[in-house]
Amino acid sequence: MNEFCVLVVDDEDEFREMTSKILTKRGLIVMSAESGEKALEILEHKRIDVVLLDVKMPGMDGIETLRQIRSLKPLVEVLLLTGHASVESGIEGMKLGAFDYLMKPIETDPLLEKLEEAYEKKRLHQEKIDQALLKKHMSMPL
Amino acid sequence: MERKRNYYTTITKRLLVAFFCLSVVPIACFAWIMKGSVEETNIIKLNELATSTIEHRAEVITQFLKDKINTLSMLVTLYSEDYFFNKENVEKVFLAMNSKGDIVDLQVIDVTGFQHAYVGPYRAKIEGKKYDDAPWFRETLISGVHVSDVFMGFRNTPHFVVAVTDPLKNYVLRATINSSIFNSLLHSAQLGPHGDAFIVNRVGELQTPSLLGKTDLSETDKTLLAFENNSSSIITSTDISATRSIDNGHWQLVVTANIADSLHYYLRLRDKIISIVIAISLISMIAATFVSLVLSKNIERADKEYATLGLQFVQVEKMATVGRLAAGIAHEINNPLQMITNQAGWISELLPDEDPTLVKNLGEYQKAVQQIKHHVQRAGTITHRLLGFSRKMSSQQEKVQVNELLLETVSFVERQAGYDNITIVKNLDNNLPGTMTDGPQLQQVFLNLINNAIDAVGHGGKIELSSKTSRDGKLVLEFADSGPGIKPENIKQIFDPFFTTKDPGKGTGLGLYISYDIIQKLGGSITVANRKGGGAIFTIVLPVISFGESK
Repeated sequence: MNEFCVLVVDDEDEFREMTSKILTKRGLIVMSAESGEKALEILEHKRIDVVLLDVKMPGMDGIETLRQIRSLKPLVEVLLLTGHASVESGIEGMKLGAFDYLMKPIETDPLLEKLEEAYEKKRLHQEKIDQALLKKHMSMPL
Repeated sequence: MERKRNYYTTITKRLLVAFFCLSVVPIACFAWIMKGSVEETNIIKLNELATSTIEHRAEVITQFLKDKINTLSMLVTLYSEDYFFNKENVEKVFLAMNSKGDIVDLQVIDVTGFQHAYVGPYRAKIEGKKYDDAPWFRETLISGVHVSDVFMGFRNTPHFVVAVTDPLKNYVLRATINSSIFNSLLHSAQLGPHGDAFIVNRVGELQTPSLLGKTDLSETDKTLLAFENNSSSIITSTDISATRSIDNGHWQLVVTANIADSLHYYLRLRDKIISIVIAISLISMIAATFVSLVLSKNIERADKEYATLGLQFVQVEKMATVGRLAAGIAHEINNPLQMITNQAGWISELLPDEDPTLVKNLGEYQKAVQQIKHHVQRAGTITHRLLGFSRKMSSQQEKVQVNELLLETVSFVERQAGYDNITIVKNLDNNLPGTMTDGPQLQQVFLNLINNAIDAVGHGGKIELSSKTSRDGKLVLEFADSGPGIKPENIKQIFDPFFTTKDPGKGTGLGLYISYDIIQKLGGSITVANRKGGGAIFTIVLPVISFGESK
């Protein structure tokens, strides 16, 4: 399995900590942020493949964060995680371009599966872009 | 219930009383006043009639008598004593003056009372009689002119006479009035078949026969005689009597009219009025009864509808509250569940790293962690269902043929039902229109209801499914079973989450709650009732949404 970088965004420390530990143990590179603002900051400076984003957070909420991530780093895939009843927010997130949304409680294996899918999508996407760039370079007259 | 029945009975009674007061009472009052005034008018009219009749008759009678007196006075002035003492001359005079037959006979009597001439039918009885003792004869000699009372005289029949004497009082000329002609003057004074008209003298003796054949005067008539003056009248409950003196108070003319006679027409009118009033009253009371009953029935129905609506409103309100509460709790529980999952996950990540020889119970730990995960999953399933997460609201709705969906759902359970010998009867309306809705969710509801029905009826039971279009164009689906039905105390809670009558562990109590929620979200309604013949019936009403209309 390819190593890829995941950013966990959640206001609950224990959740961030445990998820980071487990995912790191499964061989991923994990970073974490306790708020939307922090996440955007990290995204600007670090190479992140997939963001695991809690929908309900104090301050900037998940949906708003998602919107900004999409404009800042359109290639980064976002996986929404919600403990909240609002199916509507899930739907809204999907409309805004989130890869999928997951419902708490979720176990390690299904979570990892989803993350990998998201990364796979991102990777394919990236590949297409790279190929296109390559073609562009190739077709350039010397 | 009894109190309510009384309440509606009271309403009916009050309405009836109101209608009675508004219709029958005014009519009755009007009729009563009419009756009184007509009666009064009648009596006044009758009195007027009696008074005018008596005036008229009195005039006629006075004229008649005056006429006779004048004739006789003229004769005594014209002819001398010697002329009248000759019988032939008297016969001539009699024939001349008696062309109408008003006079029965004519006599000439000298002052000594000796009769000199007689012309008339009683010659045999009267010729040669002396009159010096007769009261009328004396009276005539004194007054010169006299009209006698009725007396028997020599001829022995009731009669009265008009007599005059010559200015020198040498003789008396006497005429006997034809009683039948005189009496006939009173006939036209009879007012109605029970009316009377007669003449009495001062002592109350009848001078003409009573038309009713009376021989004595009644007390009322006697009272009348007490009035000396010209005329008067008395009204009793049965009669109106009028009197007038004639011949200078010598006689009294009495006319009596029977009120009942004259009221004959009035009574007919009154009977007519009474029967009309009774008929109108009856009709209006029947109408009033009908209207009252209909009104109170309507009030009762409106009350019932209102109560039902109120209950429905309460139910909807309650379900909304319960829904919010359940979602809130589920949400709060999801986060701790996530932490438990994470911790358990972390343990299961680390356990493989341990040296199995050093950790004695490694297998047990692993098993325990698996169990923790399993139970968290269980709890998670429940919270997800509560939150409606498992029912993804598919934003795209599709055209659904409800009948097909129903048949498909039945096919899922037919095998199981067959084992238990349960019959599923399908009364489906083939012309049911399709509607834009969420097929899978609707199917989940159908499955829930049919499964519940199967559980309820048990071995050999019967389930009836029917579909139809309601009058206002909605889809009506009924799920009826032959089971024991729902206890009245449970029927209010049947859609509540976690309410179940199944054995512990057999049902979550969420099936009907979710069904309710789904149908609500699809814009329909679901209700439950017990059937009269036993068993329960669930009714789903769904709107028909045509393509392009969906939200």
